[in-house]
Amino acid sequence: MTETFTGLIPYILTGLQVTLEVTILALGIGFIIGLGLALVRVYGSKTPAQLIAVVSVIIRALPHILLLLLMYFAIAALVNLTPFWAGSLSLAIISSAYQSEILRGALLSVGSGQMMAARTLGMTRVQAIRHIILPQALRQAIPAWSNEAAIIVKDSSLVYVLGVPEILRKAQYYSARTYQPFTAFIAVAVVYFVLTFLTNRGLCALERKLKIPGQ
Amino acid sequence: MKTLSRIVIVLLLGALILSACGAKAPANKLEAIKSAGKMVVGTSADYAPFEYKDEQDNFVGFDMDLIREIGKRMGVEVEIQDMAFDSLVAAVEQGKVDVVIASMTETEERLEKVDFSTAYHYQKSSFLAATGSAITLAVPEEAANYKIGVQTGTTLDEWVTENLVDAGKMPAENVLRYERADQSILDLQAGRIDLVLTDAGPAKEYQTNGQAMVVLTEKLFDTGEAIALTKGEADLKAELDKIIQTLVDEGFVDQLAQQYGLE
Repeated sequence: MTETFTGLIPYILTGLQVTLEVTILALGIGFIIGLGLALVRVYGSKTPAQLIAVVSVIIRALPHILLLLLMYFAIAALVNLTPFWAGSLSLAIISSAYQSEILRGALLSVGSGQMMAARTLGMTRVQAIRHIILPQALRQAIPAWSNEAAIIVKDSSLVYVLGVPEILRKAQYYSARTYQPFTAFIAVAVVYFVLTFLTNRGLCALERKLKIPGQ
Repeated sequence: MKTLSRIVIVLLLGALILSACGAKAPANKLEAIKSAGKMVVGTSADYAPFEYKDEQDNFVGFDMDLIREIGKRMGVEVEIQDMAFDSLVAAVEQGKVDVVIASMTETEERLEKVDFSTAYHYQKSSFLAATGSAITLAVPEEAANYKIGVQTGTTLDEWVTENLVDAGKMPAENVLRYERADQSILDLQAGRIDLVLTDAGPAKEYQTNGQAMVVLTEKLFDTGEAIALTKGEADLKAELDKIIQTLVDEGFVDQLAQQYGLE
């Protein structure tokens, strides 16, 4: 068993870079889109805000794997994306819907009196959001956001259906070659656990570091 | 709320139009492949000894060697793209890959979406039981008395559904469908199912590895494994058929089958 593991874990880890790339792209792009969507929903005019709310409801109502297949086979047929980019962008769009809800909640948690006070001091709305609201809201968002980060680490495994060789697909290759599925899946479970654990630990440290003293 | 539902309808219509546009294909695939100097081949590399990956992460197996030889004879490079078996037909239909080789046989359902080359190999099917099991089968139909596991979307899945379930020989809930063959073997070992129906080649490997035991090997189909290609590409089909015929006549295919321990 130990012999198998010493060969197996390094083999699975050859897919680690892909897993990390998919995760970081999905989280990063998802954050940028999600933040934009959240700002429009909280501070934008009525129609765009409603439109975003509807898209967000649709995305969150569908299974991730279904959206992934839809985007790869239906929408990505117009622009011929590689499986890697189709997978990463699909996950980014899915994640942006969840992140926009997290960030919207965080924006709303900053008392409305602060916006009024900032405007009274002569700041424009954009300045108030940039210097007063966002620094507080983003700190508030970290605990909920680390949950989303953990979900995306695990969801990055979904891109295997498009044949992107991340760690789960590597485990499947191993299983197909050696006819030992159980060993392969246990090993990949260990890798996912470590990844999620480190992600959460990192974000916890960030949360403590950025904490506003006295709050 | 009225605005909301209107927006939903517009979005759904938009998605429909987008997906309808996606189904376009280039005029002649054979020309496109030759001018690109490259044929993109879809497979599902989790099915040894037909298509799998070796320790160095190369695509290897009976199908892989065959398609590389076909590419060589066409004078083009072969680029293998791996994906889940279920996605393969959609991928070739949408032109994501040029052809698919994945131990796939022709079925009516698949023919609605893609065309098939002439068959390059005819394979038997095997029933596997847990090692040490007392189950014996005289004919394949006797499997109806047991819980059977199959890989979903395969011709074997269809065989069980049509010949055993729809024929009223066994209850539908006694057929368990798995995304991949190795998952059904895990359930066989766990005792959740009594039999696994799979291709003879992989079945033999499972027996050699002591993971399961072959109970019965039979020829269940008259159709063989073939290469799937985009519908209506007559020139590409003619080229593939010609090369496959040559490779069969030369004995290349038989030799390859022996090399991978296939019958």
